[in-house]
Amino acid sequence: MTKEVVKGNQMMGIVAAFAGWLVPGLGHLVLRRWSKAAVYFLCVGGLACAGLAMRGGVFGAAAEDLFDRLGFFADLGAGVFYFLAHQIQSAGPDVAHATGDYGTRLFAAAGMLNFLTVLEAYDIGRGGETK
Amino acid sequence: MIARLGNLTHFGALLFFALVVSLTFAFLSKRDITERAKYTLWAFLAFLLVAVGIGWLMYPFSQ
Repeated sequence: MTKEVVKGNQMMGIVAAFAGWLVPGLGHLVLRRWSKAAVYFLCVGGLACAGLAMRGGVFGAAAEDLFDRLGFFADLGAGVFYFLAHQIQSAGPDVAHATGDYGTRLFAAAGMLNFLTVLEAYDIGRGGETK
Repeated sequence: MIARLGNLTHFGALLFFALVVSLTFAFLSKRDITERAKYTLWAFLAFLLVAVGIGWLMYPFSQ
């Protein structure tokens, strides 16, 4: 079976990575990886929305300690879901209960998962992977 | 739809997390659809096994 080598470059990798970070799956959509784009959007988006629906907390930029800074970094990975968190989660966070605490972890996991997809989008964009 | 996700039980949240992460890992690491399906199933079951195992080990401390 022959494999088609995707012609890419550094700039394409950066554009795909940025797009993928901003909207999960968009980087792969730019690179015409339809199935990966759909799966990453649904998985990262589903996980982020579940975290918010469970009233998980979202870490802000004004972090005071290392744990909060790490949480902010993880949450930021969710891209548009991070920026729209307050619109999606109209009731606000409730981390006093276990469900809210789980939601916080799910949202952070969505961000970290998206960072992995961003790295892959960058790799494909710069031509590091065969189709 | 999003509100329904908020009604997940803790075990339901575990199942959802395991499924979503397994699926993403499968698409990140495998190319063939059969390999992806196998990897998803394997990782999903591994997540459940580890979660139940850790829960079982922690059970005496909850008393």
